[in-house]
Amino acid sequence: MKKRLQITMIVLLVLSVPGFLFAGGQQEEGAETISFAGSGGYPPFNFITEDNEVEGFDVDVAAEIAERMGLELEYKTTAWDGIIEGLRAGRYDGILGSMAITEEREKVVDFSDPYYYSGPQLIVKKDGGINGPEDLDSDSVIGLVTGTTFEKDAEQLGVQVKLYEDDNQTLLELLNGRVDAVLTDRIVGLNAISQLKDGDQLTLVGSTLRTETMGIAFQDDDDELREQVNAVLQEMRDDGTLRQISEKWFDGEDITVE
Amino acid sequence: MNINLPWDLSVVPEKFFLFRDAALLTLEITTLGILTGLVLGLIVALGKLSQHQFTSKLASAYIFVIRGTPLLLQLFIIYYGLTSIVTIPPFPSAIIALGVHNGAYIGEIFRGAIQSIHYGQMEAARSLGMTHRKAMRRIILPQAFKRAVPPLGNQFIIALKDSSLASTIAVPELLLRGRQMGSSTFMYMEMLIIVALWYLIMTSLLTYGVHRLEQRLKVSDHD
Repeated sequence: MKKRLQITMIVLLVLSVPGFLFAGGQQEEGAETISFAGSGGYPPFNFITEDNEVEGFDVDVAAEIAERMGLELEYKTTAWDGIIEGLRAGRYDGILGSMAITEEREKVVDFSDPYYYSGPQLIVKKDGGINGPEDLDSDSVIGLVTGTTFEKDAEQLGVQVKLYEDDNQTLLELLNGRVDAVLTDRIVGLNAISQLKDGDQLTLVGSTLRTETMGIAFQDDDDELREQVNAVLQEMRDDGTLRQISEKWFDGEDITVE
Repeated sequence: MNINLPWDLSVVPEKFFLFRDAALLTLEITTLGILTGLVLGLIVALGKLSQHQFTSKLASAYIFVIRGTPLLLQLFIIYYGLTSIVTIPPFPSAIIALGVHNGAYIGEIFRGAIQSIHYGQMEAARSLGMTHRKAMRRIILPQAFKRAVPPLGNQFIIALKDSSLASTIAVPELLLRGRQMGSSTFMYMEMLIIVALWYLIMTSLLTYGVHRLEQRLKVSDHD
């Protein structure tokens, strides 16, 4: 009996060894890194590939900034609704993940100069009878991602809102017919429609509700880093690098200017 | 009725092994969480059965708080709430949360098992001259452990599935990996089905392991 217990304990201990090794491996950090965060679920801006790499427009911009600052980039992914909390807790140096600059967010973080412009637009089913925001009423159900600026837009439209974790879910719900329309970023919508199975049943309607200005968020008291990044961003604008990154991801479209 | 499935199951075998690392991570969180839970559980059970009023109250309070609040909430408090004191990275946060959470449940499992051992056993051991502590260690706990195995197995399976909550604090375990892959490939349901298969494989192995342990422990049973 005693021996068996001992054996059990040894087996359990051995099992736990790779865990500790892994924990150590995850925290390994070079001395000179800069870390930016995004949700990792926002293609084509930031998303995880099959090889477990983060890619996208945001990631390329982050990599270019890091390189020009002579630092190694660590791009972290985390749930969108906790991303500001993570920044305030110092889990990363900045949020470079398509975050729109808003007054409310400005109260808790500081933003860099804008690095691209976009705006929310409605996505509907082609045969759904909705041809723009004017066709929505208080019975219409709109799907959108929790923690986004689009919640306010939906409020102004006076519609019912269902909240989801990311736009994959909202668009699936639209295809399933549980929501009448999805409100999301124009470029995210375009990309999703082109890639989603049955995406050809969906279409963007109306024009963008307003222009959103995307910035990199920093901790409130981190003015030094923010200034440095602003200078690098300006450099990237001046020599055309920012435009090139945009053209690479958006079929030659330059979204970095208003 | 349109039965044309909106998803493409043919990708399931082809993408299946893209989840191997994530599955390993799930296994690691679960194993370390359970180990922490076992240690805490034993302390809690002995604490609750202790004659010292304070120790017993403390153990009761622990169970009261942990069992009375959702694991997801505990995870958020450890990950986001403690940052003013100490910033714990995602992976250890998940293990601490899972361990602390399971400590309360495992504590109750141990307590039940210990109390199920007839008090005559303790009396007999004491009358043979053993101290309370020695009797507990040599007579009561080994028998109690055997009785605790079936409910422990149950708890381990729950812990394995609960580890999926770590997806909310950026631990790239199975569920998060599934959602990320679903998000980038636009094959959400397909990826979730793969995740489900991985969980089923792991829970099956765990069930089998616990069953084997039960069988082996039975060898010394004479009743």
